[in-house]
Amino acid sequence: MGLSEASGRIKFTLGDAFRLGYDYIKRRFNRTIINMASISLSIAFLSTLLLTDAFYRAYALAGGERLGVETYQYWLMFVALAVSVVGITNAMLIAVYERYREIGTMKCIGALDRHILLLFLVEAFVQGAIGGVAGFLLGVLGALLSAGFTTGFGIVAMVPATEYLLFLGGSTILSIVLSMTATVYPAFRAARLNPVEALSYEL
Amino acid sequence: MSFDTIIEMRELARYYEMGGVTIKALDGVDLEIGRGEYVSIVGPSGSGKTTLFNMIGGLDKPTNGRVYIDGVDISKLDAYELAWLRCRKIGYIFQTFNLIQVLTAVENVALPTVFAGVPRDEGLETAEKLLASVGLGERTHHRPTELSAGQQQRVAIARAMANDPAIILADEPTGNLDLNTGMEIIDLLHGLNKTRGMTLIAATHDLKMIKASDRIVWMRDGRVERIERG
Repeated sequence: MGLSEASGRIKFTLGDAFRLGYDYIKRRFNRTIINMASISLSIAFLSTLLLTDAFYRAYALAGGERLGVETYQYWLMFVALAVSVVGITNAMLIAVYERYREIGTMKCIGALDRHILLLFLVEAFVQGAIGGVAGFLLGVLGALLSAGFTTGFGIVAMVPATEYLLFLGGSTILSIVLSMTATVYPAFRAARLNPVEALSYEL
Repeated sequence: MSFDTIIEMRELARYYEMGGVTIKALDGVDLEIGRGEYVSIVGPSGSGKTTLFNMIGGLDKPTNGRVYIDGVDISKLDAYELAWLRCRKIGYIFQTFNLIQVLTAVENVALPTVFAGVPRDEGLETAEKLLASVGLGERTHHRPTELSAGQQQRVAIARAMANDPAIILADEPTGNLDLNTGMEIIDLLHGLNKTRGMTLIAATHDLKMIKASDRIVWMRDGRVERIERG
């Protein structure tokens, strides 16, 4: 014992954070669903517009009329993305308040500020990833409904698979970035919580 | 009985500013606690018990004075070293149990071993053994909401012991429990203190808990009023 023991290092790996984050997501599934719905709906909007345009391009290539997506629709999409970011920030702030005591407790048993930060960001990452994929799938459906009646539903097979993969990858990455951006502020608040105050907090 | 010193507090003071008024939560505490000793801290609410605990755990910084743990002045430790101290040397037990709601009993107990860098399987194995030793061997995979108050506090005690700490800080551990359950928790803590030689410091109003202790420290207005042998 003595000073040498105090020179040991606390560990909390990314794997640990994912494992614990997974438990939080699984056990508080309702909140996660709301966050994922928020992000996936805005991503669905984005995917609908981009895929509609892709369908129209494929339609034009096949000799059909060149139809386009209106500019104002893209503006609406940006608004939708911004709204979802604000919504997630709000939901994550509530999650931080709900977990005041737990955050205080974790700091009592050895967690550092950055471990708490990591934990919230991991949750945001998972929400963003799942929300992005779900949003893309909804977007395919949305684009089919928006373009299919003009171009015929067979259009879905005329867009190359690589383009779908590109859209899927792009919307998932964007979704993760947005979800994590929205969570930065709540996560910092959680990480910087004074454990003394956090433990005496009455919800 | 004599003990070598594990915790030493010198002229320890903590003042808060609140609306222009200085509140003296601790106002010059000198106290030594021996290794393996069982000390009860007694006093009315607001007498500084919790602040004293926060000082020992390095959760709060003193306005004046020093806390030495094993001869180390903990105000000289950085954030990493303090986290290490809380993780490896100190086990916390709270009045409200403060278990992580999303984790099972065994996962709650294993959590401190995660921060200590113990491999997962090893940590879970230790946790299973500790749960068995507090009489919860059958309920390792239950979540806190599926356990009674007394069982939750047993899980919390097992968690406090996960990294085999030298010091257990218990803040009103029987405060939310009925008489019989409180007795069981006291016996459990007392037994751990005697068999494992853990230093046990408990803030309490519970007469039965006070009676079992080696020393009783009476606090009032942020000062040590008197110390009695148990």
